[in-house]
Amino acid sequence: MNIAEGILLVLTSLSYLAATLVYFAFLLNGRGASTVNRVGARLLALGASLHAAHICVASLYLHICPVEGIHFPVSVVAMLMCVVFLALRKRVRADVLGAFVAPFALTALFASRMSGGPSADTGHVRNVLLPLHVFVNVGGLAMFGLAFSAASLYLVQERLLKRKRVEGLFQRLPPLDALDRAEHRFLLGGFPLLTVGILTGTAWARKVEMGGTADVLRFGFGYAAWILIASVLVLRAAAGWRGRRAAYGTIAGFGFAMLAMLVYLVRSPAAPPSPVVMSTVITTGTNSQGLEGPLMQPPSAGGIVP
Amino acid sequence: MSRGPIVVVGLSHKSAPVEVREKLAVPAEELPQVLRALTHDPYVGEAMFLSTCNRVEAYVSPRAGSGATPEQLAHAVRKVFEARVGVNAKIDPGHLYEREGEEAVRHIFRVAASLDSMVLGEPQILGQVKDAFDAATEHQALGHFLGRCVHRAFTVAKRVRTETQLGAGTVSISSVAVDLAKRIFGDLTDHVVLLVGAGEMAEAAAKSLGKGAKAIRVCNRSLPRAAELAAQFGGAASTLDTLEQELLLADVVVTSTGSSTFVITKEMVKRAMKARKGRTLFFVDISVPRNVDPQIHEIDNVYVFNVDDLEGQVRDAMKARTSEVAAAEQIVTTELAEFRIWARGLAVAPTVVALRARTRAVLTTELELTLGSRLRHLPEGDRAALTQMIESATNKLMHTPTTRLKQASVEEDGPDMVRALTHLFDLPEPHEEAPNDTASGKDVGQAAQDDSDDKAPQTH
Repeated sequence: MNIAEGILLVLTSLSYLAATLVYFAFLLNGRGASTVNRVGARLLALGASLHAAHICVASLYLHICPVEGIHFPVSVVAMLMCVVFLALRKRVRADVLGAFVAPFALTALFASRMSGGPSADTGHVRNVLLPLHVFVNVGGLAMFGLAFSAASLYLVQERLLKRKRVEGLFQRLPPLDALDRAEHRFLLGGFPLLTVGILTGTAWARKVEMGGTADVLRFGFGYAAWILIASVLVLRAAAGWRGRRAAYGTIAGFGFAMLAMLVYLVRSPAAPPSPVVMSTVITTGTNSQGLEGPLMQPPSAGGIVP
Repeated sequence: MSRGPIVVVGLSHKSAPVEVREKLAVPAEELPQVLRALTHDPYVGEAMFLSTCNRVEAYVSPRAGSGATPEQLAHAVRKVFEARVGVNAKIDPGHLYEREGEEAVRHIFRVAASLDSMVLGEPQILGQVKDAFDAATEHQALGHFLGRCVHRAFTVAKRVRTETQLGAGTVSISSVAVDLAKRIFGDLTDHVVLLVGAGEMAEAAAKSLGKGAKAIRVCNRSLPRAAELAAQFGGAASTLDTLEQELLLADVVVTSTGSSTFVITKEMVKRAMKARKGRTLFFVDISVPRNVDPQIHEIDNVYVFNVDDLEGQVRDAMKARTSEVAAAEQIVTTELAEFRIWARGLAVAPTVVALRARTRAVLTTELELTLGSRLRHLPEGDRAALTQMIESATNKLMHTPTTRLKQASVEEDGPDMVRALTHLFDLPEPHEEAPNDTASGKDVGQAAQDDSDDKAPQTH
């Protein structure tokens, strides 16, 4: 890690941490909503900017395109979540989602670093589908992350309302319908990306031989996520499945997407390189063979894991 | 208070949940029956019955000459309550409260002044107490003592309203319901409000909700009344027959009918939710007995809040008003002291009446003797003048003793003074409760006049 990356990493972490504290302080004491939302959003914006700078510096230093390697996409998902949230927060009227986004970004930043680093000579993928696949999956996951946040807050809010505890936390969370709408809009935004991700992943998978259990699991989780999200959207439109049912569906869909990513992250370093490159819906990475890179390998000489 | 005690027995939002209160709630059309049941009790002389969404209370005072104790009066009220609830149901005694004597009077004052309301300072309660007073008066259940007490309560309420800021601001059940609706829907500009019932509470709700809502619809048993209310807010009116169809259009439903059964059932809402494709539906049930089946709250995306559920919200919203409570309580205490003076004066009234009657009788007898003998020649006009003179003399002669006697009653010397006068002038032994509640004779009136000349409590 060079000095510039190190400084950017520390500053990004501090910004996300400060934003997290600001949002959680509001949830705990409920004072100064507008000030807190403004300050929280600014800290998050600062964190996202530093995060973007960090990814750029890291990829330049390693000569790796951010869409080539599992570690960059994890980091990019977190950064994109912040950007999308900041861009849409006024429209969805759910500022408190920042209380999910900020700690998620912080966690993702460290998770990507802790999971090891990319191989220095990655970037041998020659298929044009790869960047597209990674890009749409990263964007989709960011949207689903936000939908998951809205769905989780919806369930909290709905539970409080059903129990008729309408003081304290209930007053600090966004209106129930606003959360439901936000969740739906994020799903609508993320679903086309996820669909393209599925299609590009499937197209690629046809060209290569399936690997071990991990690859099958990734495939399975990816399709399960797509089916769940599609069901949530269709049932909402056709049968009025909204509110709690939609929230559970969204959480489950996001859960499967995260599982797909997790399978990729925790693959044994001893496992032979998988022939499947883009089988997963969400995650991707390449190694020196032009296939997926080993995930648990120690950081490479550069050690940059944005 | 030396006059027989006023007793209050009842339950309120502070002592009993709405499920219990609604069992005792009395609709206006059944009020005469309840008042009759109360006043037919051998111990009860006067009665008033107050039934609102937050309280059900009976106020009674003893029948003249019955020597009723507070326990006997309370028992009489409880019997009426039990008859209403039915043989198979029981009211947990812990839900009922009883006040007697000065505490009962203070309670009436506090209730009328909205110091005991869920929403401190809300104006509706005074109207509801007045309605209860009118009903009791109309059915001749109120007399001189309890009637005066309730009148005094109106004075207290007016003073609290004008001399304190207790009623300032916009806190009400309706405004709290609006806040809650906004926590569910964000804002109401895209949402339709349905009022089920078109009474005073519905009107208040319409005023709060109507400002920001997309549309207001009114559904009521009587279409003309619904139309009248809907017209005020540019809304549409319908009868209860179309309630289920109305549920498809509405997002916020405020119910406040006088129905003693559920107007909105679970099955009805289940069907509506299917047709609504799961769109959120929020019920605010401000009626007692409740109009909305509470089990509806279990349905997905449907929320039912009744008056008790809104209490916490109300408490928060009222924090600014609590600083005014001390000033309002001071007014209650002052007025209670005034009423005490009046009530104690009432205890010596029989002696005053007897003394005045004795004086007038002596003077009139002497005058008649004189007119029948030495002044037989006087014409009718002069005789009338002399009769008038006797009346004036009686009043002037009795003014000071009456005033002093009333003063003595306030200073706890009343009984001694009464005994002395009874002995000195050979007056009949006064009954504790006499004169009767409906007394309005000349002597009592004059005694009251003497009282008011000095320090009579101002009523009305």
